Amino acid sequence: MDLAPLSWDFINYFLLGTTVVSTVRLIIGPTLADRLVAVNLIAAQVLAILVIVAVKEKLSVYLDVALVYDIFGFIGVLAVVKYFGRKEEIR
Amino acid sequence: MILAILIQFFLFLGIIFAVLGNLGVLIFPDVYTRLQASSTCTTTSVFSFFIAGMLYSGFSPITGKILVITVFFIVSSPVSAHIVARFAWNREIVPWRKLTPPIREKQ
Amino acid sequence: MDALTKWKIVRILLTTIYLMFGWILFSGTFTLTSITLGLVFSSTVAFFTYSLFIEKGEAARRSLLPRVYLVGVYFLLLVFKMYVASFEVLLSVLRGRINPRVVHFRTRLKSDIARVLLANSITMTPGTVTLNLDDDHLIVHWLNAKTTHSRYAGNIIKGDFEEILKRIWI
Repeated sequence: MDLAPLSWDFINYFLLGTTVVSTVRLIIGPTLADRLVAVNLIAAQVLAILVIVAVKEKLSVYLDVALVYDIFGFIGVLAVVKYFGRKEEIR
Repeated sequence: MILAILIQFFLFLGIIFAVLGNLGVLIFPDVYTRLQASSTCTTTSVFSFFIAGMLYSGFSPITGKILVITVFFIVSSPVSAHIVARFAWNREIVPWRKLTPPIREKQ
Repeated sequence: MDALTKWKIVRILLTTIYLMFGWILFSGTFTLTSITLGLVFSSTVAFFTYSLFIEKGEAARRSLLPRVYLVGVYFLLLVFKMYVASFEVLLSVLRGRINPRVVHFRTRLKSDIARVLLANSITMTPGTVTLNLDDDHLIVHWLNAKTTHSRYAGNIIKGDFEEILKRIWI
């Protein structure tokens, strides 16, 4: 099946571009919470890129990588929030 | 043929939501409003891409694995948005409010 | 054997069943070795963590075994509302006209898992993010606020979710 105007390659490069755009908020974000929002956004888009590569190449190995990547992105946000939240309480 | 049109439709939805979610994250004034844009728009865009992938690969093991990833993503995405929001709320970041028009003083 | 011991055994069995469901979902195979390994590991994990998974006081039958067919209806409603909400947020991004407020209201749901699901559904739908959940008191940040009155805002935001969740889990 051929997808005429929007092919998987195009979607892949497009998502790479939007990921770069959301890196801007990661760099200029005034507070820590802004940076966490940007990290969340980047994690979701990289997950989409992994799934699209798996669908295009018909390799299901990428899907295992995507699942573990999703879990680790979630745990990373949780760890950052836990660490800085506790620091706030001590002060 | 119909399947191809459906896949194109979902990919198009995903592209629109991805662009406007990123635009919202760039132009909104404070943490909570940025979080609104990122959580709703980007979750919907990634979800649309997953649906398109499931339609494309038909009935195969890849579809089942994408289904598992979709369920996990739908559970984990609002939870992490809520974690960030609660972090900002506990840090006592004051939400941005639209300025009300000034009250005319009687003379 | 008193009632508390019986309740402990039931909790361990229920935790094992939930973990086994997760094992089958993630491994995706039905061979004898896989099933045996899954049973051994999930019963071991359940023996150590049953008190975290199901609390001592949470003994209502409906809060442990949900009605399955309503879960499907709930999921479809959630996906539909997610698309509608995203279009609303998209319009307000394009117009650049927003009116964010913080709203407080209460929920009538009793069990913990139903409250958590309500908070997650609110985070996913019409331009709202749950900031805090204390017992039955929700603090919600609302893009494009129409009202700040507690009860009306609660009725608009919770919508049909609370009715269906009440029928699934009490």
